This record gives sequence, structure tokens and C-alpha cells, in this order.
Amino acid sequence: MSEQSAAAVRTEDVWKIFEQEAEEVHAVRGVSLTIEPGEFIAMAGPSGSGKTTLLNLIGGLTRPTRGDVWVAAQNLAALSSPRLARLRLEHIGFIFQAYNLLPVLSAAENAEFPLLLQGVNGGERRRRVQELFERTGLAGLEDRRPGKLSGGQQQRVAVIRAVVAEPALVLADEPTANLDSAASDSLLDMMEELNRDLGTTFVFATHDPRVMQRARRLIRLVDGAIASDERRGSEPNR
Amino acid sequence: MITRATTLVRLALRNLRRYLRRSLLTAAAMIVGGGLMIFSLSIGDGTHEQWIESGARLGSGHITIQAPGFQATRKIDDRLSVSARSAAEAALRQPGIAEHVVTSVPQLAIGGLASSPSGARPAQIVGVDPVAEAEFSILDDKQTEGRYLEPDDRLAAYVGAGLLEGLDLRIGSRLVLTAQDADGEIADQLVRVVGVFSTGVPEVDQALIHIPLATAGSWLRSGDDVTTIAVLADNSRAVNRLSRSLRRQLADEIDTGRLTVLTWREASPELDAVVRIDDLGNYVWQGIMFGIIALTIVNTVLMSVMYRKREFGLLQALGFTPRQTGGLVITEGLTLTALSGFVGVALGVFLTWFFFRDGLDFSFAWDEDWSFSGVVLDPIILPLFSVRRFVQVLVFILFIGSVASLYPAYRATRIDVAESMKFER
Repeated sequence: MSEQSAAAVRTEDVWKIFEQEAEEVHAVRGVSLTIEPGEFIAMAGPSGSGKTTLLNLIGGLTRPTRGDVWVAAQNLAALSSPRLARLRLEHIGFIFQAYNLLPVLSAAENAEFPLLLQGVNGGERRRRVQELFERTGLAGLEDRRPGKLSGGQQQRVAVIRAVVAEPALVLADEPTANLDSAASDSLLDMMEELNRDLGTTFVFATHDPRVMQRARRLIRLVDGAIASDERRGSEPNR
Repeated sequence: MITRATTLVRLALRNLRRYLRRSLLTAAAMIVGGGLMIFSLSIGDGTHEQWIESGARLGSGHITIQAPGFQATRKIDDRLSVSARSAAEAALRQPGIAEHVVTSVPQLAIGGLASSPSGARPAQIVGVDPVAEAEFSILDDKQTEGRYLEPDDRLAAYVGAGLLEGLDLRIGSRLVLTAQDADGEIADQLVRVVGVFSTGVPEVDQALIHIPLATAGSWLRSGDDVTTIAVLADNSRAVNRLSRSLRRQLADEIDTGRLTVLTWREASPELDAVVRIDDLGNYVWQGIMFGIIALTIVNTVLMSVMYRKREFGLLQALGFTPRQTGGLVITEGLTLTALSGFVGVALGVFLTWFFFRDGLDFSFAWDEDWSFSGVVLDPIILPLFSVRRFVQVLVFILFIGSVASLYPAYRATRIDVAESMKFER
């Protein structure tokens, strides 16, 4: 229990089986994994290797067919949908490949959305968003709608949205897939900085060699199972 | 909590603006529905008001004060005593009551026989105060020959055209009225025809005779007693409140069995039934119309939920609960229906007022003699607007909007978040 409490994420023999036209597809096969707070992890593997599904399982966006997932010392299987939503709101930030900003909100409104849902007052929301916009070179773009931002700018807003409420864990699914190399590097710099400064745990699902190169732990998935788990470099930034 | 509610409303408003064409199409259905509903209700209410007004002015008012047994017996034995009449007249002068009373008239109404050399007919004989009655009744306006009663008249009679014809009378003819007097004796009274009316209501035209109240009192040995005090209210919607006030004011007289207060619904149950049936017909028609509109809304909102799966999935990934996601769909539905409801009602009121403020003329379909249940149908119908109706229509539209959003909202709560995030537009 103490190990579960200390870990940012822990999975125990997690399976996810989809049924497709009377056929079972094993997307994740018996993955057991512990992620410490402050880690900067890349989960790599070919398409269909189960990266995104594992990320969704950790984020509580889908429930495992078998096995348990603990996040912030809570077993996700035991949580109702509203409590799972609360856990996501308070402990997890998501970054998606396709940015997924709400088109009807401005850049600043998208970024402050989790704070709004947490009931943080307007002044504090604006202060935090402004600080992150300046830090990430987005100052002056606060009032633009997503459609008026470049891909790199949209993904930066998505990163700000993911970290603005200072969650313990950020799950990023192919965050650099739609970006050119300069925008990717800039985004990764930003996330490394946040990892270093705030101690936020980052877990990436990625194909991108740049992300794998920067990760301090690289987990390779093949056919839904962990093929290798390689730690490199320094200790986690707690 | 408030932040989340305002977030829902803000998101809902922006989504409605984003999907403007779809929002406008749905709103158009609601606006047309709301406008038609206001038109139909205001015309329906105007029609009913005219029926009720006609019934009240041809009979015994919006409210009738009479002795408890008179409604059933129509006999002079069941008349109001002088003291009961005084109490009733005093109550009608009380603040809170007097403001809603247009006029009130004393009547001595009995069933009797009208005879001429050509024969005899049953008659409804009403002793009236000529001046007050002329203000209260529409009979003087329905005059076809001669004149209405005047204050100095003593042996004058104002008779229906049907009775005039049946007894082969003309202006100046004499006729004898026979009825049981206050002492239980059969008494006769000779009167002379001074005027003739035609309402178009056969049961009125073939039986009703107005004579001066003083003549009736001396003929029937009832002095200043009357059978009825007929009260005309400023409008039929004030009747319930007015009758409650009168009943409170006259509680002692009512408890001791000296008088009773009846509304037009109680005094004219047939008219009440016709109004209720007509109202029901209107509601059924509107129910069907809004059922169709509701299906349109369900279809539009459901399509929108299906189209926006990814967006709803994202909201849940960011921390929206399934209930909040459903709440957003309902908020969008309610916001749209509220806005369209207001526009629909405003448009309905304006167009109905603009085109029909002088009345909707049905004279091509029926003439002025059309009648039923003792009321004359005026072929020109004036719409009647009331705040109560506007609120009713708005509440109904909001109800339809929220009910129609329920199923799409339910579908939004059931979205598989991980699956929806894969969904490409």
C-alpha cells in the first residue's frame, strides 16, 4: 500500500481486450508498471502496440478488462464515473496528438478551463494563465480562437491547459506528431522545464525519436506487452 | 457551483453561435410554434371572452347574487330579502371589489305566461331598472323596432322578436303577463309592447320580456325585493377573485342561507362546458403541433451530440462528469428554446396585434345570428392578450425544449471517452 501511495502510477497485470466482430483483440497484455513522481517517460512502440490504450487506462479514460490501475494512490476500478472525472480534474493533465482545444473558447479560456472547473477564482486563473503564456512565448495570443493559431501554438496552449492546475501527472499522446522539428523541440523544452521546475510526472506515448531521446526512461511496447524498460540519466525531478 | 453553471451557459451560448445554421433552423421551428401558439391562444381567449361577455350580458352577469334555491326553482318565493339585497349592494361597494365591478343591476326574474288575443306562450319575465339595465345588457343594442324601456315607463314591455311573432303582436299591442305572486296567488299584469329585440338566440328571442322593476314589484306583491343582483366584472378572468372576495364579505348572509354567490360557470354550466371543450381542443391541437416540433428538436440535438462526440469526450477527459456533459446538452437545448420562445411569443403578440387588433372577421363563414348555449357568436373575434398566457407559452416551450433534450443528453452521458477521442470529424 505504501508503495502504491508513493508511486505516481502503478499498474498490476493490466489487460485490455476489445471485441471486434466476434474476435478478441488484446490491446494491452498483463502490463505491470510503476511510475515514480517526477519521471519523464516515453512509451514507444509501433502502431497497434498498445501505447495509447495504456495511456487511456492510466488516465481513467477507459477501464481495464483485468488488473488494477492506481493513480494518486487510488484504485481507478473502485471509482465511480463522477469520482474518476474528479480525479482527472485534480491529478491528471492530458495532451493529445490533435491538440483538441475547444473551438468555441479563446486560447486563454482553453488554457484556464481546468481551473474554471476546479472553481478557482477569475483573478487567480488569469494570473496563472498569463504567467504560463509568457513563459511559453504565447503572450499576446490570449484572445485568439484555436482556428487562428498555428499547430505549434495550439499544442502549446494544450500543454498549458494540461499543466495549469499543476497536476501530479501529465499524459501526452503523440504530442509532437503534427509539429515540425523546431516546434517539437520547443515544446519538449517547455515540458522538460515544467518537469524540472514543478516536478510534474510526464508520460508520453510516442513514435518520435526526439521524445525518446529526451526521456529519462524508455518503455518499449510490443503487441500490448512491455518488451523493455530502460532507465537512463538522472533521478526523477521530485 | 456557480462557476460551473456559468461555464455551462457560456459554452452553450458559444456552441449555439458556432453551429449557427443548425441553431437558427431549430429556433425557427420554435419561433413559428410559439408565434402560432400565441396567435391561437389569444384568438381563442378573445372568442371565449366574447362568449362569456355575451352570456353575462344576456343573462345574469359574470357573477350572480341570488337566494340559494332560485337557480333551481326560478320562483319568486326564492327571492332576496331587502336586507340581503342591501348587504349585497354594500359588499359591491367595498374597496377591492368595487374596482373590478363595471356595473351591477337588480333583477326580478320569474317564469310566467304571456298572452295575447292570438294565444299564450311561456315567458321569462324580468323586471329591470331601465337605466341600469341599458348599461348592463346588450338587449337594448339588439333592438329591431320601437325603443328600450325608459325610467318613466310603467306598463311598458320590451319583447323578443320570436315571442312577438308567436303572439302576433306589434309595437303598441297589449299583452297580459300571468305569474304566481309573492303571496302564492296567480296574478295578471297588462303591459304594452314598446320595443322589440332580436339577439339571434332562439331561447331568448322566443321567451324573454323586460318590464320595469317597479311594475314587476307591485304586480307580484314583492315590493323592493329582487331575485337577482347581476354583476358585470371588468373581465372574465377577474371573476374567481371577485367571487371569493364577495363570498368573504357576505359570509354571514351565505352561512344563514339568505343568499348565494354564483359565478357564470356555476350559473351557466352549458357555456362553461363549451368553453372548456373548446380550450381542450386548442390544447390538443397545440400538443400535436409541439409534439412534431419536439421531434425536430430531438433530431437536431441528437445529430449534434453524435457530431460532437469528440468534443464531449474531451470535456470528460478534462474533468467534466458525465452528468455535466448531459447538463451542457440540456443547457444548450434550454438556452435555444428560451431565446426562441421569447422571440416566438414577441413575434406572435406583435403579428396578432398588428394584423388582427381590429378583429378577425369570420362574417364570410357565419352571420350575426349564430348562437349556441344562450350566447351570440360575434363574427368578428378580437384577440385577447394576457401576461398569464405569455408565461404559460414560455414555460411550455421551455418544457418541450428540456424534454426534447433529455434523450440526446442521456446519449452524451453514455459516451465512451477513449473511443470518442479516436473519432475524427
